[in-house]
Amino acid sequence: MSDSLQTRLELYRTMYLIRRAEEILMAEYHPADQMRCPMHFCLGQEAMPSALARVIRRSDILMSHYRSHGYYLAKGAPLEAMVAEFYGKKTGANLGIAGSMELASHEHNFYSGAIVGGSLYMPLGGAFAQKYRGVDDVSVSIIGDGVFDEGITYEIFNLAALYQLPLLIICENNKYAAHTPIERRQAVANLAERAQAFGIPFEKHDGNDAALLLEVLERIIPEIRSGKGPRCIEIATYRFCGHVGPGEDEGMGYRSAEELKQWKMRDPLAALRRTLMASIEQPQLQRLESNIDAEVHAAIAAAKRAEWADFADIVDMNWSGDYASIVEFKRRDVSSFTGSQSEALPGPF
Amino acid sequence: MLSPNVKSSEEIGRSTQLSFAQSINAALCQALELDPGVFVCGIGADTPAGIFGTTQGLVDRFGSKRVFDTPIAEAGLSALAAGAANAGLRPVLIHQRLDFMLYSLDQVVNWMAPWRFMSGGRAKMAVTIRAIIGKGWGQGPQHTKSLHTWFAHVPGLQVVMPASPSDAKGLLLSSIMSDDPTVFIEGRSLFSMREEVPDAPYFIRLGEALVRRAGNDVTLVSMGAMVPLALQAADTLAKAGINAEMVDLRCLMPLDMASVIRSVKKTGRLVVAEPGWRMYGAAAEIIAAVFETLGEMRSRPRRVTWPQSAVPTSSKLEEQFYPTSGDIVAACRASVTET
Repeated sequence: MSDSLQTRLELYRTMYLIRRAEEILMAEYHPADQMRCPMHFCLGQEAMPSALARVIRRSDILMSHYRSHGYYLAKGAPLEAMVAEFYGKKTGANLGIAGSMELASHEHNFYSGAIVGGSLYMPLGGAFAQKYRGVDDVSVSIIGDGVFDEGITYEIFNLAALYQLPLLIICENNKYAAHTPIERRQAVANLAERAQAFGIPFEKHDGNDAALLLEVLERIIPEIRSGKGPRCIEIATYRFCGHVGPGEDEGMGYRSAEELKQWKMRDPLAALRRTLMASIEQPQLQRLESNIDAEVHAAIAAAKRAEWADFADIVDMNWSGDYASIVEFKRRDVSSFTGSQSEALPGPF
Repeated sequence: MLSPNVKSSEEIGRSTQLSFAQSINAALCQALELDPGVFVCGIGADTPAGIFGTTQGLVDRFGSKRVFDTPIAEAGLSALAAGAANAGLRPVLIHQRLDFMLYSLDQVVNWMAPWRFMSGGRAKMAVTIRAIIGKGWGQGPQHTKSLHTWFAHVPGLQVVMPASPSDAKGLLLSSIMSDDPTVFIEGRSLFSMREEVPDAPYFIRLGEALVRRAGNDVTLVSMGAMVPLALQAADTLAKAGINAEMVDLRCLMPLDMASVIRSVKKTGRLVVAEPGWRMYGAAAEIIAAVFETLGEMRSRPRRVTWPQSAVPTSSKLEEQFYPTSGDIVAACRASVTET
C-alpha cells in the first residue's frame, strides 16, 4: 500500500534526522568541546518521537525530559536553532540561555527541563488551559521511569484524572534512572499500572517499533481530543549512549555489554530501514539520507559562525518589567490608613 | 487589553470602608471580571467561610470552573498553575498558610521563577500565589513563617507585602495582571483592619514604596504586617517630639530603594522593622544598600525583627516573641539620641 509506504517513509525521515543529528553532534562534542553543556543523547529511543511527529499539532503542548532532542525535532522546531543553542549562540532557540537540558521552542509549544518530574508540569497546566478554553488541543508529557521515584508524579496523576484533562503521559522506560536500575529504586517495579490506580487508563508497548507506536497514538490521541480524559502509555526502550555524553557508560557496572548488544540488535532505525528496503529503491533512500546529513552539517557550521548573546542584553529577561497590560491609576494622595488600627486576634482555627 | 472594562482615573473617586479581607475579595472579584483567563483556586476557596472571607461569594458569581476547591496538593497545584500560566491563563493560587506552600518550592523556584529568562524573554508566567501568615491565637511554628526573603532572593519572582486594605486591593490587581510570578504575602493579623477603598478597579505599580508619614528625624522602613506597628510607633514618637518618616515598602521585589535613600538623605537615620527573622533578612539588605549608596549616616542603623527562633505557640510566649510598637519606638529613640 502506497499510503503505508508513504507513512513509513515519513517516519523514517524523522527518525533518521534525529539519529544523524545526534551522531554528528556526538562526534563534534568531544574532544572539540565547543558545545559546553551536559547533553543527553537519545540514540535508540527515536521511535516514539518519530511516531509522535505524525500526530501532534503545532498548537498541542509537548514537554520532554532532558533527553529532549528527538522530541524538539518531532515538534517541528528548527534544527539550526537547536544546534546553535547547544553551541550557546545568540541564534539558539533560547539565545544560549538554556543549552541542551532546558531546550525549548515556545513558538512550537515545545519545552524541556533538567529536573526529573518537571516535564509533567507544563503539560498538566497546559491541558488544564486547553479544557478551560474548550479547544481540542492536547498536552503530551514525556517522562522516564525515574519520574516514578518522585512524589509529585502522583499528585499530578490525581489532578489530571480528577479534572479529566486532555493529557497524554508517555513513559519511556529505558530501565535506568541515570545509573540506577529500577529494581534498586522501586519496591514494586510496575510503572504505568500506577496511573491506572488514579483512574488513568494505561497501555504498554514495544518502544522500538515506530509503526506500532504510530497506530497506538492514532487511536489514543483522538480520544483525548474528544474529551475522554488523560491516558498513559509506557514503552519499553533502551538508550544506546550512557546517561550523559556520547559514551556508552562502559565500565560503570550498571549494565552489561551483552544487554547493550541485545538492544542494539533491536535498533528502531535499522528495523524500519529493513522494511523500507523491500519497497523502495536504495538510491532514493540514500538521497534522503545524504540530504539530511548535509542539513545537520550545515546547521553545525552555521552555529559555529554565529555570534554570542551578550549578558547585558538578556539580564533584563528575568522579569517582564512591563506592566503594559495594566492600566495605571494615580493612587489617591492621602491614605486613610493610620496607626489607629489594631491587629486582629484570629478566632479558634 | 483591559482598557475597555476599566474606569478612568477620574471615576475612581467613590470608595467604601472595607476590611483588608474584603479588599482582597474585591480585588479577586474584579480580576475575574476583567480577564476571562483569571481563575482562583486553593483549599477551601469555594467554601462558605471562603478563606477568612477573602473568596466568599466568588463561586456563586463566577462558577466552579473559575473558582474551585482543590486537593491538599500544593506542589501539584503549583505545577498546574505554572503550566496554565505558560499557556496564557492567570492563575491565582491560595495557601491558607505560607508554611504549606513549601511543598511547592520546586515549582516556584525551579520552574516559575526562571521560566521567562530561559525562554529568552518569550514566555509569560502570570501566576499569583497568595500566601497567608498566621499570628496570634496560638499559631505556632508551622503556621507563622514569613519567608519573604527566600522568595525575594530568587531572580524572576515578585514579592508583594501589602499593609493596608486599599493597598491590598491595588497591589493584588497589579500582581494578577502582571506577566511575572508573584508571591503575595498577607499577614493574617491585618485582615480586620479597615480603610476607605476605592470601588473601581485600580492598580498600584509594583515596586513603588509609599511614604505613609512624613518626618525629618528618622527614617522608619517597614513592610507587610509590621507597618501598622510602625505607624503606631511613629504616633508615639511624635508625641515626644520625634518625627519619624514612615516608608512602607509594599513590595520586596521589585524594591523601591530610591524612596528609602531619598528619605535617609533627609533624616540621616534609619530603622527597619521587619516581620521576619533577623539574619539574612530584608532589613539587612536595605541597610546594606543604603550604606553602599550614602557612605555615612548620622547614627548607626537599627533593626527591629523577630528573634532568631522558631515561633512559639502559647499566648505568653507569643507576647515575648513578637516585637511591638514599643520596640520600634525604642529603636527610633536610640537612633535619634545616639548623636
